[in-house]
Amino acid sequence: MDSYDAPESTPRQCASSGLKDYFIGATPLQKRLESVRKQTSFIPTPPRRKIPQCSQLQEDVDPQKFAFLLHKQWTLYSLTPLYKFSYTNFKEYSKLLNAFIAAEKQKGLAVEVGDDFNIKVIFSTLLGMKGTQRDPEAFLVQILSKSQLPSEHREGKVLWTGWFCCIFGDSLLETVSEDFTCLPLFLANGAETNTAIIGTWFQKTFDCYFRPLAINAFNLSWMAAMWTACKMDHYMATTEFLWSVPCSPQSLDISYAIHPEDAKALWDSVHKTPGEVTQEEVDLFMDCLYSHFHRHFKIHLSATRLVRVSTSVASAHTDGKIKILCHKYLIGVLAYLTELAIFQIE
Amino acid sequence: MRREPAGDVVRRTILKIPLTEMMTILKTWNFLSENQLQTVNFRQRKESLVQDLVLLCEENRASLNDAALLDIIYTQFHRHQKVWDVFQMSKGPGEDTDLFDMEQFKSSFKKILKRALKNVTVSFRDAEENAVWIRIAWGTQYRKPNQYKPAYVVYYSQTPYAFTSSSQLKSNLPLLGQALTIASKHHQIVKMDLRSRYLDSLKAIVFKQYNQIFETHNSTTPLQERSLGLDINMDSRIIHENKTEKERVQRVTQEIFGDYPQPRLEFAQYKLETKFKSDLNGGILAEREEPLRCLVKFSSPHLLEALKSLAPAGIADAPLSPLLTCIPNKGMNYFKIRDK
Repeated sequence: MDSYDAPESTPRQCASSGLKDYFIGATPLQKRLESVRKQTSFIPTPPRRKIPQCSQLQEDVDPQKFAFLLHKQWTLYSLTPLYKFSYTNFKEYSKLLNAFIAAEKQKGLAVEVGDDFNIKVIFSTLLGMKGTQRDPEAFLVQILSKSQLPSEHREGKVLWTGWFCCIFGDSLLETVSEDFTCLPLFLANGAETNTAIIGTWFQKTFDCYFRPLAINAFNLSWMAAMWTACKMDHYMATTEFLWSVPCSPQSLDISYAIHPEDAKALWDSVHKTPGEVTQEEVDLFMDCLYSHFHRHFKIHLSATRLVRVSTSVASAHTDGKIKILCHKYLIGVLAYLTELAIFQIE
Repeated sequence: MRREPAGDVVRRTILKIPLTEMMTILKTWNFLSENQLQTVNFRQRKESLVQDLVLLCEENRASLNDAALLDIIYTQFHRHQKVWDVFQMSKGPGEDTDLFDMEQFKSSFKKILKRALKNVTVSFRDAEENAVWIRIAWGTQYRKPNQYKPAYVVYYSQTPYAFTSSSQLKSNLPLLGQALTIASKHHQIVKMDLRSRYLDSLKAIVFKQYNQIFETHNSTTPLQERSLGLDINMDSRIIHENKTEKERVQRVTQEIFGDYPQPRLEFAQYKLETKFKSDLNGGILAEREEPLRCLVKFSSPHLLEALKSLAPAGIADAPLSPLLTCIPNKGMNYFKIRDK
């Protein structure tokens, strides 16, 4: 079931189609941007997205299983499809990656505290981390420090975690052949040096390409609106925005936090279409925040750069960093990020 | 062998001092003689240098008070490492303005703290403008003073103002306030909504000295037509209006902020509880009685200079909101704003 209400979209036939087909088959996001660029109303109806429903995880998966993914800061990357990747070869991959890391560290390329500890690489599947049945299984790579004591075979501390997933990735899945596995969204937590080494190995082994996934102000606004729209039983964090003002010679940061209940009230007053978020509503929501601010400070926030948004559902930074706080909407958040990743790949 | 607190404080403080400042600070401290300093090799590795200096201090039998003095001097050189709060005291109605006696103040201040806590180290260092720097290491009835988390107070005796470094041990704050108030023969003490790392800027704001600095400056460059490029040949009326507006913005900004360098603050914080009102988005939250609860924080390496540049950059209207421009005048950078 497609999560977008975009009746005009037709599945992409094949990657080698002409430029015309590219836009006809584009995602709502692309269509919207394209129409903005062309100053045409290509889409008769305003673009929209479904508000994340709670717990779109499959029924038989324990949500606690993904608890370790929450409350951590993840750095985002887009990843092109992996060539000849197999879920049955995890043991082999673990060994190869382990050897590769050891070799790289011996070369002295990665200098880090704790390098003399033994490390262990583990590949594992993240069952249930998907939007539709068509989405490939998500998987996880972890680097653990091996316990120094030979008598203990306990798992050591997790030094680095990276996971690959695809949530509602239909538009990409339809374009690739069977040899490819599409997991366009990659999230990493841990030292940069480890991310670089592991990225290199994947690129060499599966002929794929990682690119840091930045999130621009446009998408940050969408995220803020969508996450504010999510129904919450109780709020554990305030709703906060951070703008960076391009004045010189001194930089200026403006942080604007609003009580989550008040943000929700504002959103409810703006919101018209049940179950969906439209561009108009996002713009109006942000406009209201801007005008409330302007009334007090006479500053035009719209002339500054939105850098970070934070809600009880999740927080996102323009540098491509995300922290998910609520397991109920985990899939919803990942769906949006997958869309951004796919857009960057194409 | 039990390490004496004095030696420990000396060693830890000297370790903090950057090599480039070492000589200056030691000379200011004036505890080691010229001859002694000459025997030390200041070019050696820092650890060895510190060892040599600590040995000399032990030779001179440095007391805890000597060590505390060194700590005060270090803090004076590195005042930006602390965040300073501002307190304002007031005299009761009809109270005499006695002539201030610094020695009496010091002894009274110390007595009050010692009576309350038994274990407390209080040290003083006089400074210019009739000010005194006070270092307080807090203990309790049963525990020796913690020499590594002291509080610092700078009291300008000819004014009702005192600046304190935000100490982690907040529970001692009421006692500190009490001691200051009584010893300086005031009646009441109030914490101002003003906080910054830049002690000198706080001084300038609170003593209203910031607008007395007249530096020779380049008058604001008259707007160059050439920056508008080819437009000159087009509709000249448009350019003229723009130029007028730009000049107006410059003038208004100048009037508000003045010609002088702004006192340095790093942030301003506003707690807003105001109703949502918007002409453009009529109807939004129209029925809602409750205000929007917001917390706005402006941060910058030099906040007032950054705010000053907003209107000329087109990011803000001119005049800028009085909520922002009143900061130096009101001596506040924490605000609670409610609908009237």
